[in-house]
Amino acid sequence: MSTEATTLRVIIAAFTDFLTVAIHTILYERAIYPPTSFLSARKYNLSVRQNRHPKVCEWINDAVSAVETELLKGVVGRVAIVIYTKDNHPVERFMLDVSRFPTVALADLDTPLERTAANGDRLPILPRIDMEEQFRATLSRLASCSSTLKPLPEGCVFNIAVELKQDGQPPLNHPQPWMPVQSAKGDAVGGQLQKKAVPVRSIAAGELLLECWIEEADGAS
Amino acid sequence: MGSRLEEKSKLVRKRIEGHTFDDEKGDEYEGSKFGGFTEYFRRKKIKLQNLDAQLRAQSADKPQIFKGVVCHINGYTQPSLNDLHALIVQHGGGFIQYLDGKTMVTHIIASNLTPKKKEEFKRYRMVKPAWIVDSVNAGKLLPWDAYRVVDEGVGQKVLGFDNGQVVSQVNKRTQGYKEQTDASWYTSQLKGEHSQMPGTSRKQPSFTQTLTPGEDIEDDEKYPAPEITSSIERAFDQDGMDDGQSSPQKLQQPRKLPATNTLIETPPPTSPPLAPIQDERAYPGEATGADATKLADGNASRLRPREGSQEPDYSMAIVRDSEKLNALSPSRLASMTAEEHNALLLSDPRIRKSTVVHPDFLEQYYRESRLHHLSTWKAELKSQLQALAAEKSSSQKTKLKKLPGQRRYIMHVDFDSFFAAVSLKKYPQYKDKPAVVAHGGGSGSEIASCNYPARKFGVSNGMWMKRAQDLYPELKILPYDFPGYEEASRKFYDAIVATGGTVQSVSIDEALVDISAICFAESGTDGVKRYEGAVHREQRKADLVAQQLRDEVLEKTGCAVSVGIGGNILQAKIALRKAKPAGQYHLKPEEVLDFIGKLEVEKLPGVAWSIGGKLEEIGIKLVSDIREVSKEKLINALGPKTGEKMWDYSRGIDRTDVGDQVIRKSVSAEVNWGVRFENQEQVDEFMLGLCGELHKRLVKERVKGKQLTMKVMRRAADAPRDPPKHLGHGKCDTYNKSLQLGVATNDTAVITKEAIGMMKTFNISPGELRGIGMQMQKLDPIKFGTEGTDVGSQLKLQFKVGQSSKTAPVNQNTVEAERAPEDPIQDVVTPEKQRVADANKPSVPVRPVNHSTPTKKALNMLGTQFVLPTQVDPSVLAELPADIRAKLARHVRPAGQSAPVPAAVNNHEKTSWSPSRAQSPARAFALPNQSQLDPSILEALPEDVRAEILGFYKSPGNRKRGEQALLPQSPRKLRTLPPIKQPVKRKRGGGLFAGRARSNLHSGDNSTLTQSNFVARPLAPKHLQEDGAATTTDTEAEPDELDAEFLAALPEDLRKEVLDQQRQARLQRTGGIDLSLHQRPKARKKKACDEEAPLDRLLQIPPRPSRPTFTMRKLTELPDLRVAVKAWYHEFSDEGPYEEDVAALVKYLRDVVHDERDMTKAVAVVKWLAWLVEEGDEDVSEKVRVAWARGVETVEQGVQSAVEERGLGTVNVG
Repeated sequence: MSTEATTLRVIIAAFTDFLTVAIHTILYERAIYPPTSFLSARKYNLSVRQNRHPKVCEWINDAVSAVETELLKGVVGRVAIVIYTKDNHPVERFMLDVSRFPTVALADLDTPLERTAANGDRLPILPRIDMEEQFRATLSRLASCSSTLKPLPEGCVFNIAVELKQDGQPPLNHPQPWMPVQSAKGDAVGGQLQKKAVPVRSIAAGELLLECWIEEADGAS
Repeated sequence: MGSRLEEKSKLVRKRIEGHTFDDEKGDEYEGSKFGGFTEYFRRKKIKLQNLDAQLRAQSADKPQIFKGVVCHINGYTQPSLNDLHALIVQHGGGFIQYLDGKTMVTHIIASNLTPKKKEEFKRYRMVKPAWIVDSVNAGKLLPWDAYRVVDEGVGQKVLGFDNGQVVSQVNKRTQGYKEQTDASWYTSQLKGEHSQMPGTSRKQPSFTQTLTPGEDIEDDEKYPAPEITSSIERAFDQDGMDDGQSSPQKLQQPRKLPATNTLIETPPPTSPPLAPIQDERAYPGEATGADATKLADGNASRLRPREGSQEPDYSMAIVRDSEKLNALSPSRLASMTAEEHNALLLSDPRIRKSTVVHPDFLEQYYRESRLHHLSTWKAELKSQLQALAAEKSSSQKTKLKKLPGQRRYIMHVDFDSFFAAVSLKKYPQYKDKPAVVAHGGGSGSEIASCNYPARKFGVSNGMWMKRAQDLYPELKILPYDFPGYEEASRKFYDAIVATGGTVQSVSIDEALVDISAICFAESGTDGVKRYEGAVHREQRKADLVAQQLRDEVLEKTGCAVSVGIGGNILQAKIALRKAKPAGQYHLKPEEVLDFIGKLEVEKLPGVAWSIGGKLEEIGIKLVSDIREVSKEKLINALGPKTGEKMWDYSRGIDRTDVGDQVIRKSVSAEVNWGVRFENQEQVDEFMLGLCGELHKRLVKERVKGKQLTMKVMRRAADAPRDPPKHLGHGKCDTYNKSLQLGVATNDTAVITKEAIGMMKTFNISPGELRGIGMQMQKLDPIKFGTEGTDVGSQLKLQFKVGQSSKTAPVNQNTVEAERAPEDPIQDVVTPEKQRVADANKPSVPVRPVNHSTPTKKALNMLGTQFVLPTQVDPSVLAELPADIRAKLARHVRPAGQSAPVPAAVNNHEKTSWSPSRAQSPARAFALPNQSQLDPSILEALPEDVRAEILGFYKSPGNRKRGEQALLPQSPRKLRTLPPIKQPVKRKRGGGLFAGRARSNLHSGDNSTLTQSNFVARPLAPKHLQEDGAATTTDTEAEPDELDAEFLAALPEDLRKEVLDQQRQARLQRTGGIDLSLHQRPKARKKKACDEEAPLDRLLQIPPRPSRPTFTMRKLTELPDLRVAVKAWYHEFSDEGPYEEDVAALVKYLRDVVHDERDMTKAVAVVKWLAWLVEEGDEDVSEKVRVAWARGVETVEQGVQSAVEERGLGTVNVG
């Protein structure tokens, strides 16, 4: 158990770390960028790939910090890393369900959290070691996702999306890092998009509850 | 001998002796066959012996001292193997290059052995190379065992022979390369200027000493010279042995002398009284006329021991004649410990008088030391000048600002042969004759100053008398005339200061003066622009000033001074060279480069033979050569600083400014003459004296130091107990140790304590001590406060002494009070009324301070340990800044009518620590809710003042000030902090700082002395004190009231905490259980929360909906589920699953997908089930298989639909 007081900010910081690593891993595994542009790095005691292009890194960091901002507001339901084809059809979505993160008032972001079990014991809020193990497991699953997914067409691009919770207010202020879109359900492209879900892993480390899966557009190609 | 060693070596020796070499016709000169290595090697050895035989034949004139010795050399030696080989063979010894067996040779020569070899060669004759050298020098074969490389260990006594007696000697020697280097032949050659011959004892005539440094080269050239002289000296030595003072160490330590070479260079610590000078002058002819050879030839017996300029009159003669020493047999002398030896030595009152054991030693030492005299004089002069300059610059309003490109006029004023000139005033008859000032006519006396006629003969300052007398035998020797010097110097400086320039004293007889301002005033320019006339006028003025100065000094002192004028210090110094004697020279800017360029580099100030030598290596002889060289090359050759300096100097640039004060980096006191102790007490006593001396000097320099360095000289293990110089330190090992003091100090007691401690860590036996030096570094200047009290640095005393700091030294009186010798404890127990009544005294009595008894240490529950007195000296108050005064004023007002503190208060204070205080009558003054208060303060206050303070607690406006008092303050300010921090403690209900105060308190509780803290905590209020309330008196009512009021004023949560704390304290006292230990984690936790979120406590997360579980056993984890599913399958493998079971599983998995949101787990369970069914037993019936397959399908569909309900599309569960 970590000795420092665990606040929501700490939990979210742990998640965004993981998100950054996950994005790099996906980019590498789905070959969005040439494999030679990736460095081998170590995170969670696992060998991971990191894109070394400064612009890519910068973009990812910006995107992740934008996600973090929304997460802190507590309005995010899911975070998605979407891969589009050249002609802008989504082919794969790497989903992270974060809707079960604890929600606190904005003022309490830095208030240490506490959970007591029924018998009065204090439960760990963010068991670091456990968390890292689960992150590691998730990342290694992600790293082997290529074997189950269909190969991507040439020239795919990726994007980061967040799905808000039902009552979540979209971040509509200036400057606007997010582009609002309508719910994907009942998409313009011929009703319900056929898709296939590939479960990756769920993470349950203290208050950090997270589900990760991949959605693959079915029969798109 | 006749040991096993002999047998083989005898054979070898015989073979070598019998070896003849006629011509190269022997079979060894035949070509060797292929593969015949052994044959080749045998021949090689024969050929080597041939060479030796030839060498031996050629040097038949040499004494065959090594006849019968066969040597082999192992490892690095000094002199080199070649030299040693030649020496051995030339003197009849045999030499074996290749050692076939250890017994082949009689002696193996080595300087040092590896531990393994030491063990291996333990039983052989391992000899140091010095044996060869010394034997050759001595002209006879010296006993080899004095030169052992391997010995029986330092503690082992060995038998030795002395004058036919067998004596037991302490075996002592040093080992290692250092010794070898120090004592080596090469080193002695390098240091040849003072070389004394090997084997000399202290009484040895040492005429070679007088060689000046310049002669060491010649010395090198005539390399065998030392041998010649030494053999002669040895002869004297043998003669002199009979006069009863031959020391037994002599045989044992035949090589000690080279080491003394280094020692002689150390500055002489004392000056002799004037009497001996007269003595010596009585027979100048003896030494003057004689040169080395002459002395060696005929006057050997008349040679006197070295008459060092620094040696006191009771020179060696005392030691030599001391019957006590002589009475003892040499063997006895040798076996004494160092302490015994010293005791014996000191038993002679004349000797004792001049050693450190004598109580007045230090005083005498510093009084008589010439060097000390001059250096302290100079220091005084400097500080005087500084004071003068400070005075001037303040009165002159503006110091001339230095503009870039400004012309400068610097004068370097110097007496011509100061000492000589002043001394000559008393002996005008010698004025035109070569005359020198020195301690005496002895050959070892150093010339302090010589006049110009003497210089014509090549005599120069610093020359040894012997050499000077060689140059000019009729040289007049004048005694020192210190009063005269001082007077002349004073007049000299008076005249210089009168010029009105900026003065920097270089030494007592020379000074630098910046007269730019005067010159500019004359020309009416700013010194930057160039008007033809102005520059000329300035230069003329400078010359005029110099001329006037010279005239004035000549008139006042009767001595000539020379003045060099230049654009900077360098130029002035160089100009001075040309000005001398008795002239002046103005080095004009346009001729600087030419003038300097023509000089030899060594003529530049600060450049002597060492830098000069380095420069010569890179081909620089003249200053102009330096200009040809790049700066980088100079820096490479000389180092960054010197290199750049030289580069600048060669162009006439010198950036230093007149008046630049070199900041003093260290202050030290050192004694290394006359240091002889009998026991440790004497050492400690001496340390006290020395530290006192250091203290005196620190005070004089107005500094305090933070780092104390101790230097200790210990007699080298192989040095004789009586060094060549009477009571000198002889050959020593020097040890240094430094200590950071943390707080700058110049306090004798502190220094002494540390010094004695350091001395102990050296673990040197008192008798071995030969010199002690103390040095203070990292100096801080002392600033003097208005009242003369030192406020420059932290007042360590007050700071350390916990409670006494509460007296808040606002004024000098307070400080004095704290330093008062009387025991402060008594002040508390029996307080003096008038003491409190006296407005000048601190109202708070000095609390007992005893760190070793923590029970007496009252708990400091306040934010700071500093408290201000409530009664303040009005005069001090008047000087305080307005804001502080305003704060104090509140308390000063009641101070006027303050009633004396009743004795009972103090009684109470004391008794309140004891458990029985509840019964104590002193409880009359028990204070409310004191757990939050410093009792010592409140109790000491007069009633009305206390009431007022308590009133503070209630006034809301007070909080702010209380907080302020908690702010970090500089140590100096702490002294004047207003005494208002109790309110903070009590008012900690609000605000950021209140939290801090509390955390402070917590940290206090965490101390290991918790118990005492709680015991010291004053009485808890009555209503909380169920156990102690029995003897409640009326007087307690008031505190209770106040307490209640106060408690009521507190916010809810704080009140609770206060009460808790009190309860805890009470439990502490009564039960003696350290509850605080249990409380601590919680307290800390709370503190953390407070710091991070002052407003909120922990945020309790609402309970999570429980995870969906499977079956009665509430399974949630995948492995468990698998086990359960497997069990289920096996259970029903013969009849197919029941519908309800399948439905239950589906429901659970839907819940997993929907609620637990772990699609992975659901899918995994489905897959597991599908696999089980697929891989199931072969013998199950088709019906059952189908039933199971359908069940799997149902589950799959269920999960699938659940996933789709979440909008995740289809999931591959198959």
